[in-house]
Amino acid sequence: MAGERVMVIGLDSAPPSLAFERFLPKMPNLSELLDGARYGPLRSCHPPITVPAWAVMATSLTPGELGMYGFRHRKPGEYREYYLVTSRNLTRPAVWDHAAREGKKALLIAFPPSYPPLKVQGWVISDFHTPSTAKNYTHPPWLRLEVERVAGGPFTHDVEFRVEDRGPLVERLFEMTSQHLRVAEHLARTKRWDLMWYVEIGLDRLHHAFWKFFDPSHPRHVPDSEFADVAERYYRLLDEGIGRLVQAAKDASILVVSDHGAKAMTGAFAINEWLADNGYLALEERPTEQTGLAKAKVDWDRTVAWGWGGYYSRIFVNLRGREPRGRVSPEDFESTLAQLVDDLRRVRVPGGGSLGVEAHRPAEIYPEVRGDAPDLMVYFGDLSWRAAGTMGHGRWFLPENDTGPDDAVHDWDGIYLIRDPEGRVEPGELGATIYDVAPTILSLMGLGIPDGLRGEPLLDVS
Amino acid sequence: MSRVEGEKVTLEISKELYERAKKWVESTSDFSSVEELIEFLLGEVLSEESGEQVYSPEEEEEIKERLRSLGYL
Repeated sequence: MAGERVMVIGLDSAPPSLAFERFLPKMPNLSELLDGARYGPLRSCHPPITVPAWAVMATSLTPGELGMYGFRHRKPGEYREYYLVTSRNLTRPAVWDHAAREGKKALLIAFPPSYPPLKVQGWVISDFHTPSTAKNYTHPPWLRLEVERVAGGPFTHDVEFRVEDRGPLVERLFEMTSQHLRVAEHLARTKRWDLMWYVEIGLDRLHHAFWKFFDPSHPRHVPDSEFADVAERYYRLLDEGIGRLVQAAKDASILVVSDHGAKAMTGAFAINEWLADNGYLALEERPTEQTGLAKAKVDWDRTVAWGWGGYYSRIFVNLRGREPRGRVSPEDFESTLAQLVDDLRRVRVPGGGSLGVEAHRPAEIYPEVRGDAPDLMVYFGDLSWRAAGTMGHGRWFLPENDTGPDDAVHDWDGIYLIRDPEGRVEPGELGATIYDVAPTILSLMGLGIPDGLRGEPLLDVS
Repeated sequence: MSRVEGEKVTLEISKELYERAKKWVESTSDFSSVEELIEFLLGEVLSEESGEQVYSPEEEEEIKERLRSLGYL
């Protein structure tokens, strides 16, 4: 029936400043979609990171309720060990599970995290958590044969991103996304789906690898680079693909969404260097070259707290009774965290000015805290400074990322756009949150909205 | 009965099963031929990929390295 199919096109990390402003004049298909759509900035979750943000969007549940705080979680009771978050950690019902109860079928392409392949009623190609040699990356398993026929070989789940030489990356990035779009269009046309959700991770890789070449305000901007137009060309490639996907499902409601935004990276704040300099992290020997916490000689009996790096920092208190060599007594737990945050707030960036510390206890921002949450979640400089977990730098502020070349960090606002052929959305620009997407999809599909979802449908007529 | 010719082997299965498989293959776009269906199913049965662990140790290291270089870890 017209108007009850929904196609979600996910552009990982697309910010309003690029998708709705800077590159929009080069994107005729997105421009046409916007005409008559409801659209605007889409506020992401805490933390605004691919995992958990897409899962939050598909469930309308908080990271605390999902028990997903990033790509990795600490193994309880271990100082150094962690485990990777995979599709097995996505245990709460997503829109496709709600839809399946009404007999509706879903087609998921590269939704993070979906490896091992999510078992949905429909079809799945797993995401960039898929090992390069894995053959079990589809559901049903034999979908892989059809995918590989259309793809012209194995499905490319991601691009290698660890080299300063960007030249070869350009070609691989464009090849990968072209392949994804080809496969997505084929499956959009040949499968009888009710909900299609495709996520293109290549855009996130583009931002991280090429931001400094197109943004004159980037701290390490490279003017007149051979890569200056890569971003614009890539956005045009996406736009062509969006046009083809929309043509493949003319009757469907279309959502174009991103899980978080992106912006220029100022640098990295070496959280463990700071903790060590301020008496929180005790070291038997101070490393003189870049060293991760796993290899550093930490004196755990004298350590109060330690941190993890990433787009935000996770802080863990060395709590007695919980950790193998706990130092902080339970009655001092809260005051220790409060003191640590106070001390962090006094940090000044090079050249002066506040670092801009935003710290949250998980229980304060989530209605429920499941799984292996950190004790404290900290953002620096409104996300402009990422957190470096390594030590041995001899300073707190690093001009570059500690784990490889990187130009961009995440930002709070992604994008959304809803175009409904049945006219159930009022066109115009208006903000929304990542929690509103799942109830909106269910409403567009004519399905009921279960209790407990954290957002509201963005429809005028339900 | 089976015959080996170059890189391929010819197997014999019951006509009834073959007809059913052929009909199924033709009704879906999942496989291009009965041969492809059988090759795929045998590959699945003989696969060493287990359902217990998500990753082998080598795969886990590969994914950790990928996520690290992407700045996620």
